[in-house]
Amino acid sequence: MGKYLSLAGISVKNALVYRANVTGRIIFYFVFIFVFFSLWRMVYSGNEIAGYNLTQMVWYVCMTELVLFCSGAGIFGVMNHEVKSGAIAYELLRPWNYIYKQFAGTLGNMTFSASVFTLMAIVLGMIFVGPLPGFNAAAIPFIIVSFMLSITMNFFFLMSLGLLAFYFEENSPFYFIYQKLLFVFGMLIPIEFLPLWAQGILRYLPFSLITWGPAKMVVDFSFGYAMQIIPLQVIWCIAAVSLAHFVFSRGVRKLNVHGG
Amino acid sequence: MAAIKLDGLSKTYKVKVRGEGLKNTFKSLVKPEYKEVEAVKNVSFSVDEGEMLAFIGPNGAGKSTTIKMLTGILHPTAGQAEVLGFNPVKDRKKLSYQIGAVFGQKSQLSFHLPPLDSFRLLSSVYEIEKTEYEKRLARLTELLELEEFLDSPVRKLSLGQRVRCEFAASLLHGPRILFLDEPTIGLDVVVKHKIRDLIKRLNKEEGVTVFLTSHDAGDIENLCRRAIVIDHGTVAVDMSVKKMKYDYLNKKVVSLKFNAETTLEETEGVTLIKHTPYAAKFSVDTRIAAIGRVIAGLDSDNIADITIEEPPMEEIIAAIYTKK
Repeated sequence: MGKYLSLAGISVKNALVYRANVTGRIIFYFVFIFVFFSLWRMVYSGNEIAGYNLTQMVWYVCMTELVLFCSGAGIFGVMNHEVKSGAIAYELLRPWNYIYKQFAGTLGNMTFSASVFTLMAIVLGMIFVGPLPGFNAAAIPFIIVSFMLSITMNFFFLMSLGLLAFYFEENSPFYFIYQKLLFVFGMLIPIEFLPLWAQGILRYLPFSLITWGPAKMVVDFSFGYAMQIIPLQVIWCIAAVSLAHFVFSRGVRKLNVHGG
Repeated sequence: MAAIKLDGLSKTYKVKVRGEGLKNTFKSLVKPEYKEVEAVKNVSFSVDEGEMLAFIGPNGAGKSTTIKMLTGILHPTAGQAEVLGFNPVKDRKKLSYQIGAVFGQKSQLSFHLPPLDSFRLLSSVYEIEKTEYEKRLARLTELLELEEFLDSPVRKLSLGQRVRCEFAASLLHGPRILFLDEPTIGLDVVVKHKIRDLIKRLNKEEGVTVFLTSHDAGDIENLCRRAIVIDHGTVAVDMSVKKMKYDYLNKKVVSLKFNAETTLEETEGVTLIKHTPYAAKFSVDTRIAAIGRVIAGLDSDNIADITIEEPPMEEIIAAIYTKK
């Protein structure tokens, strides 16, 4: 356990090195929220859509973006690069579990991103639409747990996709599809915007549980909803970790490192 | 006791075959064809504890693949490897505490952080006790002269400085076997010497087994007693460096300076390389003409200076590589 903590520690240090990167992402986050705010302001004419009013809708997008900005999305690229370039060789030489090592190594970055972008989300939400009506502080622990689960789940899914580099020469299409699924099934719009039958399916799928799950918990909290979402998130989290293990342990047998 | 044992070790991998042109591109999309490449074919040998082995061969011969199978990074397609009694793939984690590796073409240090940060991280990864770590680090710092750049970010280090840090990083946990894959590639003479000295000391003082691949003849000559030449994935030569020199080195080069104008003639086994009135350089094939005889046949009063040289190790290696 100690070694994974040290890894997390050094990843904070590494995160701080990339100051330009952080600044870039802050600007990007701002632009995203601004565009969605403008879009929804045009769409709304004072009433609700599928149970969300404008204030809730803008906070919703602030939250779904928050998940994606904290998920260490770089992991796909890192895995892809490590496998293809053979940089993984040194990684496999160490007395650690490669998958948890990568998670620990990103944890610092994630914590750092989480603090920066949570602040961003709150500031932008306040500026654009003001405080959320009826927000209950008692919801905060559930929200935090849900966010952590969705970030972890997303991380391990992205990692599994990156590790597909063991099997495929070109694995970025998988990443592209996954990103788009996250985007349409929860990030852009809450699943309540979709037909009932689709909602029925989507509320059990990881794409919506990553984005819609925690975001709805912020804008429209109810204890019953939290109790429904969090167990599902736990199940998918376990599934994502197992998938990463499976893809890794089978894939590593196929590994070839060329040229030195 | 054997520290490393290979028994019929093989590694085959598939490469997609793509023809040229649009038609073939589509064809490979629909029905990809694969070609099997045998990187390592049925390789067997063993290395004793405390031995320093040169594992050499031309580019693409299978050296790195073999090293990576021995360190548990690559899974063999067939055959067995045993390193310190472990199966490298199955007991990868357990084995990793006992071995260290330097891959000359890859880095294990955090690019943006000072080496000291990477060392500290490794000490916790390898669960090295604090006092032990400090002792070890102090020793390596002294041996490799790392003091002045221990806290500059790795990206600001020269190649020589970086490689010295790579060595320190690989040695912190006191490995019993050191795998070196072209560790001195691109280094200047001074750094090369420093690194060779370090390897020698580790071998002598701590009994570290060294498994070295290198294209640098100096590394092989200075460090190793035994050499294995691998070519096209199979062991081509396995003998002592001394014997290798003797066997492949049936050539001596003699340079002479004369007191008076002299003309030498070629005889059987003696080939003139250069000849001026006051000097000559010729090579002797010692299988045909004994070097003693050739020298005895010279007019000793007329010789102002004589040098007898062996062809450099590099030529020997080249001879082995091109023989097949």
